[in-house]
Amino acid sequence: MARNCIVVNLDRCTGCFGCEVACKMENGVALGERWSKVFTVGPVGEYPDMTRYALPTMCQQCENAPCVSVCPTGASYRDANGVVLVDKEKCIGCKYCMMACPYGVRSWNVAEKCAEKCTLCGHLTSQDKLPACVKSCAAGARFYGDLDDPNSDVSKELAKYSEGDIHTLQDVGNAPATRYIMTSMIGQWQDRIAPADHPHTAAYPVAE
Amino acid sequence: MEIQWSLVLFTALSGAGAWLVACAGLDAFKGLAKKAVVPAVIAGIVLIVVGGIASATHLSHVDRIMAVLAHPAPGIFLEALLLGIDVVVAAAFLVLYKRNASEGVLKGLGIAAVVMAAVFSYACGSSYMMSSQLAWNTIALPLGYLGTALAAGTALWYLLCAVFKEEAAALSFAATEVLIGAVAALVTSLAYGFMAGVTGGDSAVLFWVGVVVCGGVVPLACGVFGMKKTDGALPLAVVAVAGAFIGSVAFRMLMWIASIALMSLFGVGI
Repeated sequence: MARNCIVVNLDRCTGCFGCEVACKMENGVALGERWSKVFTVGPVGEYPDMTRYALPTMCQQCENAPCVSVCPTGASYRDANGVVLVDKEKCIGCKYCMMACPYGVRSWNVAEKCAEKCTLCGHLTSQDKLPACVKSCAAGARFYGDLDDPNSDVSKELAKYSEGDIHTLQDVGNAPATRYIMTSMIGQWQDRIAPADHPHTAAYPVAE
Repeated sequence: MEIQWSLVLFTALSGAGAWLVACAGLDAFKGLAKKAVVPAVIAGIVLIVVGGIASATHLSHVDRIMAVLAHPAPGIFLEALLLGIDVVVAAAFLVLYKRNASEGVLKGLGIAAVVMAAVFSYACGSSYMMSSQLAWNTIALPLGYLGTALAAGTALWYLLCAVFKEEAAALSFAATEVLIGAVAALVTSLAYGFMAGVTGGDSAVLFWVGVVVCGGVVPLACGVFGMKKTDGALPLAVVAVAGAFIGSVAFRMLMWIASIALMSLFGVGI
């Protein structure tokens, strides 16, 4: 089964929020809701060894997706292309998928009263087009494709870097497919930052 | 995370109902209670059903609930299945008890009721064990669900025995059951509190006063007194029920209040 996902090259990302806007525009995501969000991680460290980088986030297309396994109706499912999706017609609104998502990257559609999330723009990729966030990325930092296909855009981009420069969000057994490329040129990859220790930074929120 | 009252009431009521039925079923072995068995089983069924209905009120599309049947793996399906089985066991016990069925049959159903109560109340908590929720992903959580439900169910049984003026031996044994339930609630709640790190900070009052004192110490004291002295069992039982229910609800409130997401990148509240 294909492992379609987004790869983000943080060495290139300028943190312009263009992907976030493009996602909202393409998918008609309501005000106050989001399928995609760009974080500013840091600054952390001591001068002159400091790190600060933009981190675009969205559904990480986990291989062992907890949202799929907890869904009582099968509304959260993996399609034939291996993409984790939500069938909103089946969603009963129990929000278990939102609790189970390790990254909190699911959204609650207030109008339709159901859970939803990034679809990897399946309506575009099925027509051999790129997801809106990838197409709109002004810095050419975002890539879409199958990790198992050596000729895909994601595999080609990842092949340029050593393993130490390729990261995922913290894996708690869910095996996120999304990869982030970041070299020492930008700084040190941060698995998580406790906001309490860094009150002046917008970091990974760890608690609600 | 916000307290999901529908789910708090579901597991508190249904869990207590299941253990109330279990206590009535257990009496098939002792034969001490004469008048409280039938009302206890009926009350237990009502509590289980009312709890089940309460759980459905947190869904935004209840009309699609039948889709659950097509996807039998997750915790919600398991909870619904166990709830249904528990009601069937309770109803069967009630009918056969009323028809004076053989002792062996009633004992068999009594064992089934105890097993179902344990499995059901544990399963209600195990649904929340998720690697994404740092304060939930411990086996102490479902054990706490089991322990607090056991305390509430046994206290209710003690209350019904007192209301229906059962004999001293029945009251004393019911108080012993309250003691066992209270110890279970106390041990499992403390285990959860320390394992999940919710014994201090903002959760401290709710944990120590609501869960530990009301849910554990109060019914424990009632059980100890009730075992020794069967006169005046009713007020003791009322206090035990009040304490155990406050503790059971407080434990479930604490779970929601103390939840710590691994990450909540979009900051969406639940």
